[in-house]
Amino acid sequence: MLIKSAADIKSSEITSHSAYLNRRKFMQQSGLAMAAMGLASTAGAIETHDGKAPKFGPDWLKQQVAGATETNFGKDEKLTPYRDVTSYNNFYEFGTGKDDPVRNAGSLITDPWSVTIEGQCEKQGTFNLEDILKSMPLEERIYRLRCVEAWSMVIPWIGFPLAELIKRFKPLSTAKYVEFTTLEAPKQMIGQRSRFSTIDWPYVEALRIDEAMNPLTLMAVGLYGEILPKQNGAPIRLVVPWKYGFKSIKSIVKIRFTEKPPINTWQAIAPREYGFYANVNPEVSHPRWSQAKERRLPSGLFSVNRIPTQMFNGYGDQVAHLYKGMDLRKSF
Amino acid sequence: MRQLLSSIPLFARRCLVFIALFTPFAYILAQVVALQMGDYEILGPEPGKAIVWFTGEWAFNALLLTLAIGPARQWLNWKWPLAHRRMLGLFVMFYATLHLLSYMAFLLAWQWQDIGSELVERPYLTLGFLAWVLLIPLSITSTKGWQRRLKRKWKSMHKLIYLIAILCVVHYLLQIRSNWFEPSLYALITLVLLSQRFSLAFCYTHFVRCFHT
Repeated sequence: MLIKSAADIKSSEITSHSAYLNRRKFMQQSGLAMAAMGLASTAGAIETHDGKAPKFGPDWLKQQVAGATETNFGKDEKLTPYRDVTSYNNFYEFGTGKDDPVRNAGSLITDPWSVTIEGQCEKQGTFNLEDILKSMPLEERIYRLRCVEAWSMVIPWIGFPLAELIKRFKPLSTAKYVEFTTLEAPKQMIGQRSRFSTIDWPYVEALRIDEAMNPLTLMAVGLYGEILPKQNGAPIRLVVPWKYGFKSIKSIVKIRFTEKPPINTWQAIAPREYGFYANVNPEVSHPRWSQAKERRLPSGLFSVNRIPTQMFNGYGDQVAHLYKGMDLRKSF
Repeated sequence: MRQLLSSIPLFARRCLVFIALFTPFAYILAQVVALQMGDYEILGPEPGKAIVWFTGEWAFNALLLTLAIGPARQWLNWKWPLAHRRMLGLFVMFYATLHLLSYMAFLLAWQWQDIGSELVERPYLTLGFLAWVLLIPLSITSTKGWQRRLKRKWKSMHKLIYLIAILCVVHYLLQIRSNWFEPSLYALITLVLLSQRFSLAFCYTHFVRCFHT
């Protein structure tokens, strides 16, 4: 057989941080050259594979994302390549297959975009994305993302701490939880038109207010130095690195402060399998599979990249205190 | 159509059936080779999972074809497929074995402790594994020699395939997360094909009442 025994993914094939910035420059130049040759349409088809910048989105956002400052978060981590981060997604609004979102998310309209703020806070209302991001310094943070399905990635996000945003709306002392809602637009989101789904749209997620205020909790508007591709939750999404990926809700249109714990979408579908907290925890199995280990993507066929899962996805130092005295088997 | 198909010589038909059922394997093998040669994008960032799903689906497809031969004869009066039931059944075993091996190799990286605990602790895996184990005696005794030796027992023994089919249906249904379309479709087709063997009254007394009590 023609099967090579060497590692499937050479380390040289994994995009490094500096390499992606260089490549970006190259892609922009070659993109221009292609356009000059009248090949702009074919270049568009290739770009998702080559990891070129998304073509949609307002210029002000692109500029703001490009100006994000680097941080030390996850500096030593090996990044998951751009093409994997942007082509292997769970975004059921665009289909249940991992490759559905990249194919179907093109129909999502991300500009103009507004977010409605409701509930137990002083400053309620509907705000344009531009107003939300105005004078909000953006930073790049490399986080591990652990999916509840036992695979994981390492992604360089661009965003800002959710706490900074929450402070602006001045939550009342009765605001114990923060609930997030994804856009519901069946005309744009093919998955919401499916009759074979058990999900009651729109998708809802929530955090306890102290979780939301934790400095690790990020609102992302970009990844790999570019604005978010639609399949990754453009234009604005949550990133909670110590919780399973489904908590990191995409394409947010509403944030509501509540006194009572909201029921998040997956908890509503299968309360035995998905809880409110969904903290990454290798000791608490999903009823249908173990969570003790994870496949860090990309994972080769004959060199399966299977590594132990860390408690709180390795962010215990920053977040373990939030759950002091709680039985994490019961509050899973 | 029926006449056309039954007019093809048996050997030629056998070759055609073999090629048809072998093609998915050739296809996935070509993908694996391309992947190993460096065409990284061919099966996505989790190629192991893609292969496990592919082989599982084809094991089920072959199983449905095997089960369809009886109803084809009774409902459509197609007799020619009978001569191909053995080969189809062996293809079920072929893809089921690839399915199991690729699960152990590509998803669990031959970590035996994990393989053991997963097979014991996860009902959908236990049932799937049980279905594969039950396929072993059926494959071994699929030859004419065994058919002669076991006589009448052979026929009742090979009715195990009905149980295997039900195990496979449950194995698939238990994996639903939010999309129930494909698992339900497979379940429905299986039930329709099995209904030819069991009268509705039999189904009622044996299955429906079991679930209610």
